[in-house]
Amino acid sequence: MKKILTLILSAAMAVSMLGACGKQPAAAGGEAGGADAASAKATEVSSDDKTISLWDIATDEPDKTIWTWSVDKYNKEDSKTSGYTVKQVATVNDQYKQKLSVAMSAGKCPDVYLNWTGGPLKEYVKSGYAQDITDLVDKYGLRDKYNEAALEQTMIDGKIYALPIKNQSVAVFFYDKKMWKDKGYEVPKTLDDLEALCDKMVADGITPFALANSSQWTGSMYYCYLVARYGGPQIITDAYDQKGSLVNDATKFAGEKIEDWVKKGYFPESVNSLSPDDGEDRALLYKGAGMMLHGSWQVASIKQENPEFYKNLGAFAFPTLPDSKADQTTVLGTLGDNFLSFNCTGKKLEEAVKMAAYYASDEWMKLDVENGNLPPLKNAKSEEPAWQDIMEMINNASGVQLWWDQYLPASVAEVHKSASQKLFDNSESPEDVAKEQQDALDEYFSENGGDASTQS
Amino acid sequence: MKRASLSLKRQRSIAVCAAVFLIPVLILMTAYILYPIIATFRNSFTQWNGISSARKMIGLYNWNKLIHDKKFWTAFLNNVKVMFLSLIVQMPIGILLATFLDAGGKKFNVFKVIWFLPLLMSSVAVGYLFHYALATNGGLFSSISNLFGGKNIDLLGNQRVALYAVIGVICWQFIPFYMVYYMAGYSSIDETLYEAAIVDGATRGQYIRKIALPLLVPTIRNAIVLSITGSLKYFDLVYVMTGGGPGESTELMATYMYKESFSKYNMGYGSAVAAGMFILITVIAAVVMRLMNRKGGEI
Repeated sequence: MKKILTLILSAAMAVSMLGACGKQPAAAGGEAGGADAASAKATEVSSDDKTISLWDIATDEPDKTIWTWSVDKYNKEDSKTSGYTVKQVATVNDQYKQKLSVAMSAGKCPDVYLNWTGGPLKEYVKSGYAQDITDLVDKYGLRDKYNEAALEQTMIDGKIYALPIKNQSVAVFFYDKKMWKDKGYEVPKTLDDLEALCDKMVADGITPFALANSSQWTGSMYYCYLVARYGGPQIITDAYDQKGSLVNDATKFAGEKIEDWVKKGYFPESVNSLSPDDGEDRALLYKGAGMMLHGSWQVASIKQENPEFYKNLGAFAFPTLPDSKADQTTVLGTLGDNFLSFNCTGKKLEEAVKMAAYYASDEWMKLDVENGNLPPLKNAKSEEPAWQDIMEMINNASGVQLWWDQYLPASVAEVHKSASQKLFDNSESPEDVAKEQQDALDEYFSENGGDASTQS
Repeated sequence: MKRASLSLKRQRSIAVCAAVFLIPVLILMTAYILYPIIATFRNSFTQWNGISSARKMIGLYNWNKLIHDKKFWTAFLNNVKVMFLSLIVQMPIGILLATFLDAGGKKFNVFKVIWFLPLLMSSVAVGYLFHYALATNGGLFSSISNLFGGKNIDLLGNQRVALYAVIGVICWQFIPFYMVYYMAGYSSIDETLYEAAIVDGATRGQYIRKIALPLLVPTIRNAIVLSITGSLKYFDLVYVMTGGGPGESTELMATYMYKESFSKYNMGYGSAVAAGMFILITVIAAVVMRLMNRKGGEI
């Protein structure tokens, strides 16, 4: 008897956690067992016909001001005539993605929601939670307002599924102008220049690259840029369109370069344990590291965190590879940063787009620029000194390559991140890293049949 | 005759009463344990991104993938490492501390409180605490090393040691649990046994070795089963401290399941991982219990 009891009890112990894990998929299915977060959240947004629910991540300033502005303007000026009101719900960034997927799986997707395009947007479109707004964009003359490359990013098969909103984020090298001048360093134009400069820095006892790679996507920027410089942006787009493999010379070149750089001591010691979330990369830069490859949103962070350092902040584009036939002006980034997609139809959709169009108005643009951003609009300009270099880079760029971890489907993106991280402690060969990513892509296509129509 | 029917009646009313008292628990168990397990198994036969309402039945595809998934077995191996090291480290230290506190009685209450503290903190808090304590830049160990002119010490970012660093923290958190568990075991031993042993001329050491520890065996056995199941399903601390990285060096089955389900949008495959975990843990726990019971007989 006791034996049986023990068995039952320990079995119960063993399953209790699985129970907890299993619960989430069940809850996400929106089925019985219902008093969970999903349905609680769902009632919170279950909007009646005249309420447009908007989900974003603007929980902190300055985002709060930036995002609320258009909502307030619509509710004040248009509500009376249209009869619709917008209800904004902000969620902390880290929890947002999960909250959104739980809501979608429960069939309670908000009418308007923030996303980052790329792979996930494709999933949303596939699942029927993002509407084609091409006609409305043309109707309200929005096509001319947005930066072309930014709008390009919202398109799937030539149709527009989202509007770019917040910032032009591109990956650039940041450096301390004063320190470089004192030491006689010059901005490198080619990869050879860069390596010569880094050797000099190592000899001077300076760590060339301020990188914190525990989040993986930070180091992945080096990889993506090197691949793009060697083989052009089509390396990744071809792989995604099943026209090419990631196991090629470009990824081999990128992997070997990083391996080599790690061996030569270009990166800080134990780079994979440093956390960009704690700002350890910026800390390295402040303490005298050579340069930092990072998204341009760092301008706002540095301005706020270290005004003294900010005065001498400079930026330059990732150096080029003159021998390569590939386009050398490509920049890695996202023109928009945050995007809005729409999950409603008819008159409601039109009103929602009207509201979102306020994020393209001149008044709003001024507000966004004041807060350290550069909106993805054609006539946007920022007076911030650090932005001058970056704007020039964007204007000269022939194209913008979306960060791989945003561009690829989520399952492949995760593999890309963890595989590329292994280059930074030399624990996997460049060939294996490339192969691991290609295998993930192959698996994705074999499971999803390559196109959207086989789904659902 | 009359007596027999009375006792029958009594039995019946006890049964009804028991059923009534059990109903709330049964409902909760069904809703939060039984149903999710069934749903997990059902989802494991589907292809589902966790978002869309469309779920495609794909039969045993996920299970086939799971069996051939190197990453899953790497994670399982890591779980096994956690399991063995937890047993080797936590059990003896737990017993040692419990013996010490048991022998000391009220005098040592202060130790009891201090040693119990780690268990009172939530795993997430402990995870963050050690994430910073073990950090390469400005972490506890690095700072001490710097103080003596040494280099920074990288514990969580180094593939070779990350898992062991994490296991160390797990032990730190759970030793108090087993300490309390064994203390309860000690206190259930009849005081007269101790008195009898002393009267017969045994020393304190002899009493512990020859009488108390053998009587503690059933407790130890249960603790071992708890530790094994606990290590195999471990999640929170590892997820907070390393997220399974760098590479796959600290990936556990549970963190792998989480990533598949919620980061990669492979809810179907994530469910298969969860179900696979369920089977593995149940089998291992059953085998271990069977082995131990055969050895020690029923006590």
